[in-house]
Amino acid sequence: MDRRTFLTYNAAAAAIPLSNMALSGLANAATAAARPTPIDFKSNLPAIGSFPDKWICGSSSCMDNIDPPVQVHWYNTHTAILRQNKAYSYEAPFAPLYFGNDRVLLLDEGFVQLRNDWDLRGVVDQCINEWCARNGRDPASLELLVAFSHLHADHYAATNQFADRPNTRYMGLTHEEMVGFWGMTNFPEERVTLDLGGRDILIWGSPGHVVSEFAYYDSYTQILYTGDMFYRGRCYISFWQPWFDSMKRLIDFCDTHPVTHVMGCHVEISRKDEDYAYGMTWQPDEAPVEMTVQQLREAYAHAQKITEPGIYFTGTVFLCNQTRGTTTIDKNPYRYS
Amino acid sequence: MAQSSTYNPALSGNPQSATGRAYPNGNPDLGYNPVGVRNTDSAIPLRRKSAVVHDYACDGPAPGNLAFRWTYGSNVAAKNRDPRVQVVQYNEDSFVLRQNVCVHWEAPFTYLLFGNKGALLIDSGATADAQHYPLRETVDAIITRWAQARGRSKVPLTIALTSGEDIAQNQGLVQFAGRPDTTIVPKPIEVMKRFYGLGKSWPAGTGKIDLGDRVIEVIPTPGTHKDGVSFYDPYCDFLFTGDLLFPGKINIGNDGDFIASLERLKAFAASRPVKWILGGHVEMMFVPGKYYPRFATFKPYERVLEMTPALIDEAIRYAREVQGKDMMLIRPDFALFNGVSPDQRTQVWPDGVPNINPPRPF
Repeated sequence: MDRRTFLTYNAAAAAIPLSNMALSGLANAATAAARPTPIDFKSNLPAIGSFPDKWICGSSSCMDNIDPPVQVHWYNTHTAILRQNKAYSYEAPFAPLYFGNDRVLLLDEGFVQLRNDWDLRGVVDQCINEWCARNGRDPASLELLVAFSHLHADHYAATNQFADRPNTRYMGLTHEEMVGFWGMTNFPEERVTLDLGGRDILIWGSPGHVVSEFAYYDSYTQILYTGDMFYRGRCYISFWQPWFDSMKRLIDFCDTHPVTHVMGCHVEISRKDEDYAYGMTWQPDEAPVEMTVQQLREAYAHAQKITEPGIYFTGTVFLCNQTRGTTTIDKNPYRYS
Repeated sequence: MAQSSTYNPALSGNPQSATGRAYPNGNPDLGYNPVGVRNTDSAIPLRRKSAVVHDYACDGPAPGNLAFRWTYGSNVAAKNRDPRVQVVQYNEDSFVLRQNVCVHWEAPFTYLLFGNKGALLIDSGATADAQHYPLRETVDAIITRWAQARGRSKVPLTIALTSGEDIAQNQGLVQFAGRPDTTIVPKPIEVMKRFYGLGKSWPAGTGKIDLGDRVIEVIPTPGTHKDGVSFYDPYCDFLFTGDLLFPGKINIGNDGDFIASLERLKAFAASRPVKWILGGHVEMMFVPGKYYPRFATFKPYERVLEMTPALIDEAIRYAREVQGKDMMLIRPDFALFNGVSPDQRTQVWPDGVPNINPPRPF
């Protein structure tokens, strides 16, 4: 039995708990009766939504931070975007939560591991409960998929908080498990469709920052989630050619599909294009997380001219081409001659 | 050769450390009445009519130790509940204050020294907001208590900075604005030089701050900052070097000045007894040559604060190696950054230094 059959088999087994065919017919009927009208995720696209004017972005003194550990922003009624508090981790990644009729997809889990330090699980459960209450669903009927954009700890650290959650599947921490989780056999070119229940998420490989990275496109809000390979800050490019090819793949996708926003996992830049150095826990004038397709195209155009390792500013993001040792843009302010 | 940078409990002065002392139960050969006794206070009430006049003349360094571990932040900075200002009393007349790492990642050290005629606060922390970093409140409380013990109603306070321009050390100054009986050493470099009487001789010569039988010497030490100074306390035999020399990432502002200042410091230290050099921060870990990144709010494996005077020689030697070059250089007890970004990394590891990976906190 290959992995895909195995997954389908499990799903079928969950839907029909009894092997007796006569009873299963009854069970199906009962589920259908209890089941509310499915939400239509396929018309009037793109679904309107909004980003906050300003995200919560840390405080001058970390121990005096009284903001919520996770900021929950409802982009629209069926899409939440979570962000880790800067005083809980300087990485403060963003994490979209996409709701479908059958499944919920959580992308990225922040940079704190333990639930008693940072209760991501509780926040996600609460979001699911809220959404279910609004839409007349039973939270237990929804499957939660806990996935991440790429294989870095600031994106998967809290995965274990979901280990004992019923009706939940989470991505494994190897390249094989990640690619297999989305049933891909030809990474990174292959584009697969994840059906959340009427809401399609398109997923394909996006290596370059790390090998194991995906791009996620939500066909409902038409947000393109580019992980850490392209975000508003310092895009650390570990492998130039794979990254450039991934950019090309994103551009090709934008040529053929409508995209409302391009969204990365972090923000490390101010509205005035100043760099917030690696590790900062307060970004008072933070730039918005969402970018336009135009900004992506400009970055790609800029990248076409890059031949050497170094730090390049595209007008939107810093492309840190193979600069793992010198990723800081600021200088010692006290230099004098 | 500089000290081994591994943790040496004998140097920590921690009396709780059984391994740190050759004589865990005391050394009878030293006699029952060591000279340091007269530099400590009696608990026997004296029914005195006038203020205590303390004897700061001392054979060797005044007795004292840094007997507590520094607070080091927490994994989740928002949940840190350590004191905002950690106060460690070195001896009855010398206090070391540290800012909480989760209030400001620089976690600077601030020193409060007392003499018969007044007190001196060296540096003022990295946060201006008294709600977040109640430096003034803490200093006032220490002074009040000390004044009660010594029977003094007034303790004039002088506030001096190891560098007026360093925002990791000058932010707390505003909290002392309008404080009675307080002299703040002026910040502009020319006025500061004149205040210390160094207007003509800078960077040669030394200035003085007289605390009453405890005369703190001021040594011009530009190099990391244009207006850098170091302080020498002849009572505890400490050199307070601020940003110039500390166990951390030393960002050199001007390498010529840096070496000249270290050499001046070396000559100075050769003419006076120096027990420890106390810098303004700790950024190194307790394994040699490893340090915390900028902005870290959790530093559980910090090196101790105190450095031996032999480190001046080591600093001079390796400062010469980086002179005129844009490079960084790792040593067991500090790292030099000359003309490179403060986050510069290097693959070059110093010869003969064990490369130990400390546990990664998560």
